[in-house]
Order: sequence, then C-alpha cells, then structure tokens
Amino acid sequence: MSLDISFIGILIGSIMASSVPLILAASGELITERSGVLNLGVEGMMIIGAISGFALMVITDNLFIAVVGSMLSGVIISIIFGFLTQSLLTNHVATGLALTIFGIGLSAMLGKNFVGIPGKEFPILFSSLRESIPFFGPILFGHSIVLYFAFALPFLTNYFLKKTKLGLVVRAVGDSPVSASNQGINVILVRYCCILYGGAMCGLAGAYLSLIYTPQWIENMTAGRGWIALALVVFATWSPIKVLIGALIFGGITILQLHMQAIGFRIPVQFLSALPYLMTIIVLVVISRDSRKIKLNTPTSLGRIFYKEK
Amino acid sequence: MATDLRISNISKIYPGCIANDNVSLQFKSGKIYALLGENGAGKSTLVKILSGVVSPDNGEVFLNEKNLKLSSPLDAKKNKIGMVFQHFNLFETLSVFENLSIDATEDNKSLRVRINEILKKYNFSIDLDVPVLNLSAGQKQKVEIIRCLLRSPKVLIMDEPTSVLTEQETEELFISLKKFCDEGILIIYITHKLKEVLSLCDEVAVMRKGKVVSVSQTQNERVETLANKMVGQKLAKIKKKINISKNKDEIFKVKHLNFYSDDPFETNLVNLNFSVKKGECLGIAGISGNGQNELFQILSGEIITPNTSIIFRNKEIAKLNPKQRREYLMAFSPEDRISQAAVPELKIYENVALNNFKSSNFFEKGLVNEKKIKEHSKKILSDFSVNTDNVELKSQFLSGGNLQKLILGRELITAPELLICYNPTWGLDVGAINYIHETLIKINDQEKSTILISTDTEELLKLSDRIAVIYKGKLSKIMPSEEVTPEKLGVLMGGGSVD
Repeated sequence: MSLDISFIGILIGSIMASSVPLILAASGELITERSGVLNLGVEGMMIIGAISGFALMVITDNLFIAVVGSMLSGVIISIIFGFLTQSLLTNHVATGLALTIFGIGLSAMLGKNFVGIPGKEFPILFSSLRESIPFFGPILFGHSIVLYFAFALPFLTNYFLKKTKLGLVVRAVGDSPVSASNQGINVILVRYCCILYGGAMCGLAGAYLSLIYTPQWIENMTAGRGWIALALVVFATWSPIKVLIGALIFGGITILQLHMQAIGFRIPVQFLSALPYLMTIIVLVVISRDSRKIKLNTPTSLGRIFYKEK
Repeated sequence: MATDLRISNISKIYPGCIANDNVSLQFKSGKIYALLGENGAGKSTLVKILSGVVSPDNGEVFLNEKNLKLSSPLDAKKNKIGMVFQHFNLFETLSVFENLSIDATEDNKSLRVRINEILKKYNFSIDLDVPVLNLSAGQKQKVEIIRCLLRSPKVLIMDEPTSVLTEQETEELFISLKKFCDEGILIIYITHKLKEVLSLCDEVAVMRKGKVVSVSQTQNERVETLANKMVGQKLAKIKKKINISKNKDEIFKVKHLNFYSDDPFETNLVNLNFSVKKGECLGIAGISGNGQNELFQILSGEIITPNTSIIFRNKEIAKLNPKQRREYLMAFSPEDRISQAAVPELKIYENVALNNFKSSNFFEKGLVNEKKIKEHSKKILSDFSVNTDNVELKSQFLSGGNLQKLILGRELITAPELLICYNPTWGLDVGAINYIHETLIKINDQEKSTILISTDTEELLKLSDRIAVIYKGKLSKIMPSEEVTPEKLGVLMGGGSVD
C-alpha cells in the first residue's frame, strides 16, 4: 500500500513538472492580452527561448546565464512584435502568426550544431526531503527553482492585476485604450511593457523545456505547447488562477493517458492522445461559464489596433 | 483666485477640412460660457486642443497669462483643465472606484474619503464598488465629473453633456454646474442645443465651419437668433399634422414580447404589447440603454424570442428572419449607421444592393447586375439629395447625414408598409435632421406606418402620433402625442410615473 501512495506522489510531482511551461507561457500571455494585445507568437517565442537557453548553457557552461539569456531572447523577439503592432500598427493576428513561423525556423537554424549534445543537470532544491517524506516529498520537494516560481506566478499575477496600481493601469488599457490615453496614460508604453514581459515568460517556458524538463535540444521541441498556452488563456477567461487549474489538468491528463497507454487500456491511442485537449477545454468551459464574469474579465480592446490622434 | 483662459489664433487643419480657422476666445471665471455650433463646426476639435488630445497647427492657449504647452492630456490635467467628453472616457469593466483611482496620486483610503466628501457635497448617489457598465448614463457622467473635481480644476469643459440625460438629470446637472461656477470654476459648455444655452449660460460663442461667427451675452439672444447664427440661413419650421383616426386598421401588432439575457451589457424586456395603425407614427421614447437595442433587434428579426406574437398585415411573422420580414414589406434603419446599416468599406451602389436580394432585379442567376444597381443608386442619390452623385464612392466617406439619407433611400425603394427606425437623426446637423424629418412625415402622409425609437424627445414630439416610453425594459402606457409634454416624457424616462 505504501508503494501505491508514494507512486501517486511521484505521479503528481511529474504532472506538476509537465505543466510548468504552460503556466509560465500562459501567465505571460495573460498579461499581454489583458493590455489588449493578442500575441499569437507564443510558440515562436518559446522555441527561441528553448534554443537560446540551451545554446548559452553549452557555450558558457553557466545555467544562470542560460536561464536569464533565454528570457532576454524572448524579450528581444517580442520587441519585433511590439514594434510592428504598436509602432507600425500592423495586424496583431498576422504579426503573431509570422512571429511563430519565424521563431520555429530561426530556432531550427540556430540549433543545428546543438542537436545530440547532452544537457547539464539542473540543480534541484530540498532533494533530501523528497526521499524522506513518503507522499508529500515528491510533490512538494526536489524541484527546480523555476517550478516553484511557476507555481507562484499565477497568484502573483492575480495580485498584480487586482491589487496594484500598475495592474489597474494594464486592465484599463485593455478595456479602453482611447479613454486611457485621454487620461494621460501612455498606452503604447504600457502595451510594449506587457508584450516584453510576455516574451520573457515565454522565453523562460522554452528554457524550462530544453534545460530542465528534457535537458537537450530537439528541433521543434515545444511541440504545440505555445498554442495550448494561448488556448488556456482564453478558456480560463483571462483569470490567472484558472490558467493554473487548466495547465494542471492538461499536464495531468497528458501524463495519465501515457500511463494508460503503457498499461494497455482498450481505448484507441488516438483518442487517449486527444484526451488532454478535450478535457482541458471542457473543464475550463464549465468552471467559467458565468457570462457576467467573462464580460468583466475580457479585455474589451483585445487585438484591436490603437493609434493616438495627433 | 480668478481664472482667465485665453485662446489665441488657434488653427487646426485636417486633410480636406479646416476644423479650426484662426479661433480666438476669452473666458473668465464666475461665468458659464457656451460654445455653440452644428456638428462639424469645429467645437470638438477646439475642445480636444484645450484638453491636450490633439495639438493645434497654429496658435496658443493662455491660462492666467501663462502660455500653456498642451501636448498631451497630462499637460491639461497638470494645468487644472478638467474635461468631460461626450463619449465617456470610462473603463466599463472596472469599478467606479478603480476608474477614479487610476490617475490619483494619493492612497486609496484618503481617496475614498475625498470621493465621499464630493458625493455628499453635491448630492450625488453612486455606489463606488460596482462596475461602471452597470451605471446609467447620468451616473457615468457624474463619475466623469467627480474625476475632474478630485483634481480641483480651474477650468471645467463639458462636451455635449446632455445628449444622454433625461430632463431631470439635465436639471440636476445644471444645478451642479451653477454650484461649480459659484465656487470659482470656469465652465465652458459645448452644445448644439439652443434652449440649454439660454437657460444655463451667461455668454455664448457661436462657431460655424471652423470659425467663431459671434460672441454675445445670452440675455440678448433668443432661440431664433442663435439658430440663424449657428446654421447661417433661415430654417423653415416643419410640423406634422397629427392624424389619429380610431377607425384605421392595425397593421402591426406585438403581443407578449419578452426577452431575457444574461449578458450584463443587455437589457431584459418585460411583456411588451403594442400596435401600430396604418399611416401612423408610433414613437418610443427612452434614455439609451433601456432596452431599445434589444427591441429594435427583435422587431427586425435579428433576435427571435419564443412565445412572442408579432402580427404584420394579418400574418404571424415572429419567427421570420430580417430578410423574410423585408419580403413582407417591412424596412429597418438601425441606430449605428456605420456598423449596422451599411458596410463602410463597400461602395455606395454595393450598399444599396445589400438588402434587396429578392424584391428587385439586381441579381440574375446569382450574378450581380451592376448596371441596374448603379442606375438605381443614382436615383436614390438624387431623390434623397445625397451630397454626391458618384455611386463608386466608398460609403465611409459620406458624412453621417448623407449616409442616413442613403440608408433611408435604400430602405424606402421597396415601398415598405412599415419602417422601423432607431435614432435616425443621431449626431446629424440641423439641415440633415430637417430633411430626415420631412421624409418620415411624407411616409405617414402616404398612409404607410413608422415606428420611431428615439432618445430625442423633441423629435418624438414632432413626428409621433402616439408615444410610449421604455424604461428598464418595460413599456409605459401609450399616449396620444398631444397629451404629452417634454416634462411628462422626462418623468417617465427617468422611471417616474404620471397620471
């Protein structure tokens, strides 16, 4: 029996680990979207973060530089998006799609010489506690610092949006950029900041994949997680806590269905593989069906181009 | 300390239009100033310049002889110029308090204290913790005013403040404005409503085509003199002859119209019953946001409600969509000309073809007969005196008045038995309004019926044979319009009752 319990603990621990990139990318994108900007380049920014993190680790042999560098690379690529959409007033959707395609291509090119190089072990915290406490050990301890940060992030995001002045400004800009501008808020600046923050979080999410989760570089290794993160934000109706729930469900069912496949359940594999997507959407739709709340949370100006009268 | 605001030689040129042409004006505190003019006269541009939203090409603004550099709204705020825009600058999904705290420099606690002081002093009652989208237009305006007052302004500019208010709310607003004026705030009141100028303001500057054409004391003016200055020509008065004949057939009858929505932006409708007779105009008054949108959409068939009966020309049409209703000779003119009535990116003749799929020979075997549509469009342009004869012009380049004429022309080509319009003269200038009103009266004279949903009481009293008021989704009793006064309408529009 004690074996079963510790197995469940390890299972939950691995579910948490697999949901980290989704939480990071979705939390970043949530802030971007709350300011009224729809950035579909999440996948592209993640994969750029993944390759630059891995490459920096190989070149400098320093994980700290690798992690910070991956975030910076996310910022740099999101500057392109910000400049195009905010300064040159291009369409958000088209620009975001281009960013994703660009990111995937660029990462493949940059990553050519890094395929097959083994990764470096990422330090984990409280590893002794992980072994000594049967059920809670593998859940609470023995993770990388990035995981702890990721699980704190939705709560921090929630606090930022609801309780701080800056969060209020972000929500106001997303609600009505024209009003905000007439109130003397620099809409373009706020949106730039939100875009860059989103880029940094997507970069970190990518680095988590290539440095911690599966420490190596594989072409196209984000495998659509950026798109899932985008969907999570929408289906969680722009609520950070629901993003966390959605990411856990998605991670959970992904892991569970792998186990089910391994055990040999008589359910078509294709259906099992589709299950995480299906369940995440169903659950999020069910928990956020209060249409009033949706209206209040939805950034009214999402995806619309704002330009200042001269 | 007295405030002295001076505008000197302001010019602002947009491509194809001189919005402000060498405008110079002077204002002193202790008085309420009116800036009067038609739409497009340049009032709004001047106001945007004063509030730092746009910068002038030329000219200067002096406050107490200090030359102000107003290059952003922040500069106007710093110089204590407060501004209440016609279209509210509020964040609908944020609470009232959040809206007020967004540009405050103090902490939330002392801000709340100060807001409550203002609420008490001026007798405003507003719940600070509800989202702004739950407020009425009058309350939203008060939030805007409070936002200005929190910065202890020297100048307060009100841009067309009464366009969304009831008579009562307007009176309350005037009382508040007079109080502010007594407290030494300089008030500039922008409007195109002549009566308001006469009842509220001390001095009036009239603008026409970007220029100031007259500055005078209001006590020396009358409605007619101001109107002539504003329009620049004498206007013929139009008046409808009321024709309520009890014997006429009911052509349109609505029973048990109920509508429920969980969308917080929508209003529920509760058991509406009414009918329209042949050749009659039924007016539906109310402040915007009391269910007019929903009512219009249900009458036009955009929303189908269960258990409702709509009889039109002895047929049940409640389950029909807008296209089918049009085939039964109903026609519709929605409030939002740009997004609901016409497609701005399409050319004029394409817009004309849009709602006439069946009733004409515009289409043959699925192909567009451009020649016929263009011929027909030309006829509409000349019959309805639209200010262009180029049917290839994109509709977005038409002014509001011309677009409305085009839409009415388009709707009327099928010779409909019933025309339903919603705020047909919204945002139009006096000349265009006159034309639209004449057209609507003509329709009734030809024994065709109209339903006029409008927020403009004057228009309703002028055109309707019978009037009902919609308030929070409920319809008042329907009254013959000779029994209705503006005051009575105002009471009903504000939720009161009259006998």
